[in-house]
Amino acid sequence: MKVKSILLGLAAALLAAPALAQAPAVPGWAIGRPEGSTLAPHAPRLTVTPLEQVPVGQVRLPAGFHAEVYAHGMPGARMMTEGPGGTVFVGTRAIGRVYAVSKNADGTTRTRVIAQGLTQPNGVVMVGTSLYVFAVNRVLRYDNIEQHLDAVPTPVELGSAFGLPTAEEHGGNHHWKFTILGPDGRIYTNVGAPCNVCEFDRSRFALLVSFKTDGSDRRVEAQGIRNSVGMAHHPVTRALWATTNARDWAGDDWPQDTLHHIRRPGQDIGFPFCSTGQSDPQFNAGRNCADFARPEAELGTHTAALGMRFYTGTMFPESYRNAIFIARHGSWNRNRLVAFDVVVARPDANGNIVGGVEEFMTGFRDDAAQRFSDRPTDVHMMRDGSMLVSGEQAGALYRITYRR
Amino acid sequence: MRLRAYLVAAVLAATLPTIAAAQDRARGEQLAAGRCTACHGENGRSQMEGIPSLAGQQPLFIVTQMILMREGIRQVPPMVPFVEGIADQDVEDLAAYYASLTAGPAEDRSPRDAALAAKGEAQMATRHCTVCHLPTLHGREQIPRITGQREEFLAHTLAAYRDGTRVGADPQMNDAVRGMPDADIAALAHYLAHRD
Repeated sequence: MKVKSILLGLAAALLAAPALAQAPAVPGWAIGRPEGSTLAPHAPRLTVTPLEQVPVGQVRLPAGFHAEVYAHGMPGARMMTEGPGGTVFVGTRAIGRVYAVSKNADGTTRTRVIAQGLTQPNGVVMVGTSLYVFAVNRVLRYDNIEQHLDAVPTPVELGSAFGLPTAEEHGGNHHWKFTILGPDGRIYTNVGAPCNVCEFDRSRFALLVSFKTDGSDRRVEAQGIRNSVGMAHHPVTRALWATTNARDWAGDDWPQDTLHHIRRPGQDIGFPFCSTGQSDPQFNAGRNCADFARPEAELGTHTAALGMRFYTGTMFPESYRNAIFIARHGSWNRNRLVAFDVVVARPDANGNIVGGVEEFMTGFRDDAAQRFSDRPTDVHMMRDGSMLVSGEQAGALYRITYRR
Repeated sequence: MRLRAYLVAAVLAATLPTIAAAQDRARGEQLAAGRCTACHGENGRSQMEGIPSLAGQQPLFIVTQMILMREGIRQVPPMVPFVEGIADQDVEDLAAYYASLTAGPAEDRSPRDAALAAKGEAQMATRHCTVCHLPTLHGREQIPRITGQREEFLAHTLAAYRDGTRVGADPQMNDAVRGMPDADIAALAHYLAHRD
C-alpha cells in the first residue's frame, strides 16, 4: 500500500516533468506528493509567544542538566553567533529580522531588532567585531556592531562579491544560508539544491562553499550535499563536519538525514543520485553509490537536522568534550512526527562516530497528540560552557547548564 | 467530497503546534471598528475596488500578512499607517475577528460569464491551486482562502505575484504564476470570484 502510493507519486512527478516548459510545476515542496497525502510544511509563527507559554517546562534533559529561558519574544529565532562582547546575534527566515541579545548587569537579557525587512536572513556569523548577515544572495557586513546596537549604521553590501545564486535561481527552494567562520579565517556556507529532488547543475547547487571574508576565492568544500543547514569544524582536527537534509516524498522511512565528515575538499556526498549508499528511486542515473562518501551517522528520516556545533567547554561532563550537538527541527514529510529535539554524536580520534546518536534535549514532541510545542533550530556554545538552543516556533533561546 | 474535506481538515488540525495564542475575537472587533472597516467593509466584505475582503479568511494568513507589512517585507503603502508598530496581540485579535466572519461575495459582484469561468477553471489545474489552497479553496494556516474574494483584487494579486511586486513568507506564489498571461489571470480571477 505504502509502496504503491509512493510509486504513484513518483509516476505523477515523472509525468508532470515534460509539461514544465509551458506549465508551472506544483510548489517545490509538493513535487512527488502521493495522491491523497495531506502532509505539508508546518507554518512558521511570526508573533511573540508570551513567556508563560514558552514550553521550557516540557524540556527533558539527562540527569544534572537544567534548562532555562535565556531570551524570548523573538519570533522565528534560528541561527546564532556571538560577538566578542557577549552579544548573541540571531537570524530568522520569513520575518526578515536579525535580533541582538545582550546581557544586562543583573544577569537578565535584553533583545533588540538590529535589522529587519530582509529576505530570509538565516546566516549570521561574527568575523572579529563585524557581523555578517547572509540573506539568500545578499551579504551584509555590520562593522563594530556591538558598539552600535541602538543605532545600527548602514551595512556594507558584499553580495556581488560572493555571487551566490538568487532565490529565483534556486526555484524558491533551499536558498537560505547557514554560515560559519572556519579556523582558516574563511567564511563557510551552504548553497542548497534548487528543488526537492531533480537534475540540476551540480557545480552551482547542493554545495558547501567557502570564501575569503571579502567574498573572493570561492572554493567548493563538498558537493552533492542536498541542503546543509548546519556545519562546524572539529576543534582538534579542524576538519569540516556538516548535517544535511535528505529528499522528501520517498516514504516515511527513507532516506535518512545525515551527518558528514568532509575528509577532503570537494568530497561528493552523492545527491541526487544516492543517499546513504543506496540508489535514489528516480534520480540514480546509473551511478554507482560506492563512488560517493557515506555519512558518519544517520540522523533519522525527515528529522530536519539543522544547526550543529562541537562542545568545547568544561561545564558539561567530560564525555561531552568535542561531541557534536545537533538541533533536529522536526518532521513534516512523515506521517508520524519525529525529532523536535537536540541529539549528541561523539566522533573518535579517527573521525568516526562511536556509540550512535543519543537524544539530549527532548519534550517538545507529543507523540500521543501528534503535536509539537517548539522546534530546536540551532545550538550555540557560550564561553561559560553552557549551551544555547534556539526554538523557532516559540521564538526563544533556551540556556542549558550542568550542575554535578 | 465534503467528507473528504472534513477529514483533510481534521488531519491538519491534529498536527498544529500546541502553542495557541490567546486570541480575543471581541477585542479584535473593537480594534477593527472605524479603522479596518472603513475600507474592508462592516462585515469584512469589501465594497471598495482594489480592497480585499477579509471575512472568513484564515487567521494565520492575516497574521502573517500583517506582520510582513509591518516589517516592510510586503509593501502596501495605504496599509502603512495601520500596521506601523502594531502589537502582535492586536494582529492576532484582528485575525481572530475576521476569521470568525462569514465569507461571501461582494455586493457589486459582476454577473458570471460561463465561458470565462470555464477558462478560469482550466487554469486551476494548470496552476495546481488546490495543492496549497486545498480542494475547497478555503486555504489552511498561512495559506489564504481564495473564495469569497473580489475579482479585481484577485487579478491584481495574481499579477503582483507574477511581476514580483508582491512577496509572501516564501516565494511559492511567485513560482506558481510565473509568466501567467493577463488573459489567464482575468479568467482565473473571474472563476474564483464566483466560487463560494
